[in-house]
Amino acid sequence: MKLQTTRFGEIEVDENQVLTFVKPILGFQKYEKFILIPGPNESPLWWLQSVEDGALAFLLLEPHQVLPDYQVSFTPQDLHELRATSSEEISIYTLLVVPEDPSKIRTNLKAPIVVNIKTRLAKQMVLDRTDYPVQWFLAQPQHKQPTNRQEV
Amino acid sequence: MLVLTRKEDESIMIGDNIEIKVLELRENQVKLGIEAPRSIPVHRKEVYLSIKNENEEAARMKSPSGEIPVFPSKKGEKKNGNNH
Repeated sequence: MKLQTTRFGEIEVDENQVLTFVKPILGFQKYEKFILIPGPNESPLWWLQSVEDGALAFLLLEPHQVLPDYQVSFTPQDLHELRATSSEEISIYTLLVVPEDPSKIRTNLKAPIVVNIKTRLAKQMVLDRTDYPVQWFLAQPQHKQPTNRQEV
Repeated sequence: MLVLTRKEDESIMIGDNIEIKVLELRENQVKLGIEAPRSIPVHRKEVYLSIKNENEEAARMKSPSGEIPVFPSKKGEKKNGNNH
């Protein structure tokens, strides 16, 4: 099927590649169908393009490329929702915000986008019980790596 | 806004399958237990709002191919500043 997008013009979408969000991207409850488009220049970036609105797209980061210790723990319920048999089947991305000021480039470690590529099911997870920040700035020296330490 | 008064260990039901129970009262804090279907996201409001705002910021990203200099190529060396 063909899709008109504001960022990529008209693109051909293979319906087998469409992701279905079983839990919404917060604030975007209306949208549940997206596709992943590789980002520029072999960067660890992907575009998450809405299939329902050609103007809606998010930039995703493979967080392990910049934060090897980043950890997301899946509950059996998470696996069930994504119809995954193990957490290895699930790809983890974080949303990236790239404002004009490069020192403000940041990613949301608190609420990653998790995708089971096999079943094409996805959701935004909220890591409620970790101290991962909603805004983690990439350009500034980070003296301390955030951890998924549990709140008391 | 509907206002109800509850004591410790009392609940309210929202529809057939959402229960909110007052577990513990302290001087200036109340501990709530929430039972709801997993399809209904439950978050602390400030967490919900900060994520929603950040998602909205993320959705403003325009450029499809603009250089984002913070990132090395996948094959490239580690980038500066982030690891230490």
